[in-house]
Amino acid sequence: MACETERTPLGVFKCQLCALTAPYSYQGRQPPDSQSVVLLEESYVMRDPFTPDKGRFLVVGSRCSMCGRLVCVGPECSLFYSKRFCLPCVQDNVDAFPQEIQQDLEKRKVPFTRPASQRSS
Amino acid sequence: MPPPRTREGRGPWDRPRAPSPEAAPEKWNWNCPETRRLFEDAFFGDEDYIRQGSEECQKFWTFFERLQRFQNLKTTRKEEKDARQPKHSHPALADLPRAYDPRYRINLSVLGPDARDSRGPGRRLPPERASEFRQALLHYLDFCQKQAFGRLAKLQRERAALPIAQYGHHILQMLKEHQVVVVAGDTGCGKSTQVPQYLLAAGCSHVACTQPRRIACISLAKRVGFESLSQYGSQVGYQIRFESTRSAATKIVFLTVGLLLRQMQREPSLPQYQVLIVDEVHERHLHNDFLLGVLQRQLPQRPDLKVVLMSATINISLFSSYFGNAPVVQVPGRLFPITVVYQPQEAEPTTSKSEKLDPRPFLRVLEAIDNKYPPEERGDLLVFLSGMAEISAVLEPAQAYASHTQRWVVLPLHSALSVADQDKVFDVAPPGVRKCILSTNIAETSVTIDGIRFVVDSGKVKEMSYDPQAKLQRLQEFWISQASAEQRKGRAGRTGPGVCFRLYAESDYDAFAPYPVPEIRRVALDALVLQMKSMSVGDPRTFPFIEPPPPTSLETAILYLRDQGALDSSEALTPIGSLLAQLPVDVVIGKMLILGSMFHLAEPVLTIAAALSVQTPFTRSAQSNPECAATRRPLESDQGDPFTLLNVFNTWVQVKSERGRNSRKWCRHRGIEEHRLYEMANLRRQFKELLEDHGLLAGAQAPQPGDSYSRLQRRRERQALYELKRRHEEGVGRKRKVLRVQDDQDGWSSDEDRGGSASRGAGDSVDIQDVKFKLRHNLEQLHAAASSAQALTRDQMALLKLVLGRGLYPQLAVPDPFNSSRKDSDQIFHTQTKQGVVLHPTCVFTNSPEVLHAQEQAARGSDGSRDDRDKMSSKHQLVTFVSLLETNKPYLVNCVRIPALQSLLLFSRSLDTNGDCSRLVADGWLELQLADTESAVRLLAASLRLRAHWESALDRQLAHQARRRLEDEEEEEEEAPVNHKEVAALSRELLQFMTSKVSYSLRRLTGLEAQNLYVGPQTITAAPSLPGLFGNSTPSPHPTKGGYAVTDFLTYNCLTSDADLYSDCLRTFWTCPHCGLHMPLTPLERIAHENTCPEAPQGGPPGAEEAAPEPPQKASALQKPYHCEACQKDFLFTPTEILRHRRQHV
Ligand SMILES: [Zn+2]
Ligand SMILES: [Zn+2]
Repeated sequence: MACETERTPLGVFKCQLCALTAPYSYQGRQPPDSQSVVLLEESYVMRDPFTPDKGRFLVVGSRCSMCGRLVCVGPECSLFYSKRFCLPCVQDNVDAFPQEIQQDLEKRKVPFTRPASQRSS
Repeated sequence: MPPPRTREGRGPWDRPRAPSPEAAPEKWNWNCPETRRLFEDAFFGDEDYIRQGSEECQKFWTFFERLQRFQNLKTTRKEEKDARQPKHSHPALADLPRAYDPRYRINLSVLGPDARDSRGPGRRLPPERASEFRQALLHYLDFCQKQAFGRLAKLQRERAALPIAQYGHHILQMLKEHQVVVVAGDTGCGKSTQVPQYLLAAGCSHVACTQPRRIACISLAKRVGFESLSQYGSQVGYQIRFESTRSAATKIVFLTVGLLLRQMQREPSLPQYQVLIVDEVHERHLHNDFLLGVLQRQLPQRPDLKVVLMSATINISLFSSYFGNAPVVQVPGRLFPITVVYQPQEAEPTTSKSEKLDPRPFLRVLEAIDNKYPPEERGDLLVFLSGMAEISAVLEPAQAYASHTQRWVVLPLHSALSVADQDKVFDVAPPGVRKCILSTNIAETSVTIDGIRFVVDSGKVKEMSYDPQAKLQRLQEFWISQASAEQRKGRAGRTGPGVCFRLYAESDYDAFAPYPVPEIRRVALDALVLQMKSMSVGDPRTFPFIEPPPPTSLETAILYLRDQGALDSSEALTPIGSLLAQLPVDVVIGKMLILGSMFHLAEPVLTIAAALSVQTPFTRSAQSNPECAATRRPLESDQGDPFTLLNVFNTWVQVKSERGRNSRKWCRHRGIEEHRLYEMANLRRQFKELLEDHGLLAGAQAPQPGDSYSRLQRRRERQALYELKRRHEEGVGRKRKVLRVQDDQDGWSSDEDRGGSASRGAGDSVDIQDVKFKLRHNLEQLHAAASSAQALTRDQMALLKLVLGRGLYPQLAVPDPFNSSRKDSDQIFHTQTKQGVVLHPTCVFTNSPEVLHAQEQAARGSDGSRDDRDKMSSKHQLVTFVSLLETNKPYLVNCVRIPALQSLLLFSRSLDTNGDCSRLVADGWLELQLADTESAVRLLAASLRLRAHWESALDRQLAHQARRRLEDEEEEEEEAPVNHKEVAALSRELLQFMTSKVSYSLRRLTGLEAQNLYVGPQTITAAPSLPGLFGNSTPSPHPTKGGYAVTDFLTYNCLTSDADLYSDCLRTFWTCPHCGLHMPLTPLERIAHENTCPEAPQGGPPGAEEAAPEPPQKASALQKPYHCEACQKDFLFTPTEILRHRRQHV
């Protein structure tokens, strides 16, 4: 029945901080099949693997606007405040960010590097 | 955290954040359905990210309400915020917004409806509200993104934390260098889910992964699909007997071993795969062992095919050395330390053969846990028992203990439970309460339950063992192996340190066998041998199995297949054998299918064959429930269990096709496990396709509803069903429920039991099985088949019994002659190899054993004896059965009653007679004594002809089928293999034969009698001249039995008899009614003359006249003048009376 038009992945996204990997099928600001939603950064996007709805996407990561590292959107690796910043860059320039964000970081209290949950391959 | 209520709570219309100057003049109510509809129209169109009316839409509104409450709380702090702005060198930091707003943290934006379409419904929304709505939507989408990403990250963390994650690279490397790699790791190391993904990630695209169980195929495909993020894609699929999710895009497929073997049957080199993973090889299943054998031989032909054998850390060297010392990658399991406590049961006073298991040692463990471990410390208990009877022996007292202490929830787990009940073991116990799961060894490897901290190991297991001599399956209790004991122990240490209580001594453990007995040494090998033959792997006796089966099992299997006609005398596959090899069923059931399709009884036979191939649909609980038994009664057939099953299935289909009737409820009321009926429907369909594929059944096209309207209607219905299915699958991922501690007696239950749809999502009230069923099957067609089956005529019924009888032959039992004077519950039966077997309690005849008694007959001297021994009757019956199962007693399972004499004449492999054919011995163990020689001979002659007829029709049918396969679809419109008229004539004759009334006695020969049955080879070799009687065959002296071999099954005049008679003595003068010949003839010679008499009317088969109801005891018809030499008197005697008379003079 259901036609299996799987969008073939463009490549594999890999976070340069935590090594998370995910196959992405789109890169840019306007994910296909969702005209009403636009992204505010150039993002690596995959189809949301947790829902059968084909139109749903999931942003997995993008480049840090300061250092250009590829980082995932996980709160241990980056944050978005009108642009994407990797946490190392945020830490280095913490006073450039509003207090709310600083407090958030405090609360998090997790060192930004998550050493090697994935060691090899 | 529950958001504290602020204000009046209800009217979130006044959003206090930025009271706009043009605030709504009237109260704005977001809860008003019309308001919501207005926004939904504007934002949630068909093209939008969220669609109106979807589940997502509901979720959004829930989120919306929460968000509003949250924002109400926060606003007050908000205003004081201000921004400092130190200058920053980096341009990226330069233009950060000064004033903080949470929306700056969201990396996406939603276009307002106006931005997209100025004429759209968005126009009419107040801009302030629209923007408020948009903000909420933004937050919602951000929330969804975070949630989904969180899952993704968690998934990867968990994968990375698996023990096997460290070895992925190594495994791939090894596989580059070697053709075969063994991956050994214990349950929980992640090999089954991860190795396939490593291969995927390494770019492999034609991977097959075999599993011993169908369930595992489905669940692994789902899991791997999920983990490799193609859950709803098609990279990962499964293929099992009834379903396949495989498509062109599939890169890895999970399939059963049996299915892979079938693929090899077609293409031995498996060209469709690059990598083959064979999982769970240590379980040593029959098929797996065979697969390894075939692979070992095949691999040199496919040097590019890579094979990964996956095993628990059991006997690894065996597999490695079988494949030329293949490298082993050993992955340590992830086990926490487990304390082993040996608690041998002191030699209890053996209470009456200890029929029932003593539950006390188990209760003591429960108590000990309660005493030693505070209830806050979580951790459940898993108890390994040997079988279902043992589980119920412990269940009751354990539940009593549980309801007393309120600290336990006791759950049984075994394969005969309904799926829903099995699922309950995954539910969680409320705080302070532990689960106590009483399980068979199903929880050793097949089912993994989290949260187990304590294990009780009884040290026993019940396994089917096979006695090749008796061809008998026995369920016997054994000590487990050390490997199993370790496996059981390990279940306690998966989530934390655990304790394993072994109810045996350490010295017992030391005495255990190191490994379980492989299946190939325990079970019947018929199916295996058949498969080996069809795959042309050579002589099964010399096949290089990883561990060879016992030679006797092989010999028995080969002999059995020869007996069944699947192999010829040179052990090559016969046409019927090669067909049987393709039917994934028991040989006898395969035969039924083939025979049934020949007699145009395909529909009922398909159902019966399917019913006999799945577990019984009758639940155990219903047996003790008189209400269930009563509602079920109308479905019972006193012809036998297969007919009851036929009725159940047909009525169920009927219920299903009636709109609005709930088949689930219907089943529950009757104590029927509906799941089994679904399995039957699936299997039935598969059988049907097989028969069609093999040209045994015309591929009847579904009668398409004629007009376009009804076609449209039908399509709509199917679409609706698909939609239901889709929605169900969305909401799948069954949430664990909290178990209830039993209040008192009604045992355990989940909330689901009571609340029904209330506790589950609305979408879940759908009976998904029903939906799938209706999608998979053409209900109209099934219904038509069912109603035609319900309207079976008596003739069809009789033919159907013939088909079953012939298929099941020689599985039959004779009722004990004293049954009629025994209690209903004490009825016993005898098979050729086993005396004193009983009916299985589920058998329909247990309620009405009288239908099996030969109710007869005033005629013969009512000498007061009430037993059937030597009783003359025309109604003796045999019980033919599907299987013989030995648990505590040997049980006949799935029985049908069949007329004894006619069935034996038609089916026996060996039929021996005395001189006048009044005494017959079938298969060397059943003796039939016929009252009247003449009818005996007639019947015998008729049976010979019918057998020949039937055989040739069947042969032609099969030959046709074989030819058809060779020629392939050359000529689609071929005429039916055996012509219709011929089959009709054969059916008619068979029916007449079956209804013939002849009086006879039936008994099982004693061992001594059976030994001294035959006269033995004779020196006189003058063949009796009996032209025509036995067809055209010329009888030759039988080398061992004596007498004359007439056909391959019939030996004439080879039985010893106490009154050693020569057939010549039985000559009496006789006049042929046709040609007027007058001379002294034996009855046999008379028949022979009649068969060949040139004047005799042709056409009507001589046996047919016999069918006319003919009272056998009516004196005049058979009495002939007789002159006795001894007493010099003349009599009017029947042949039997002659015998009796002569005996006086001896
Ligand atoms: Zn990261
Ligand atoms: Zn950076």
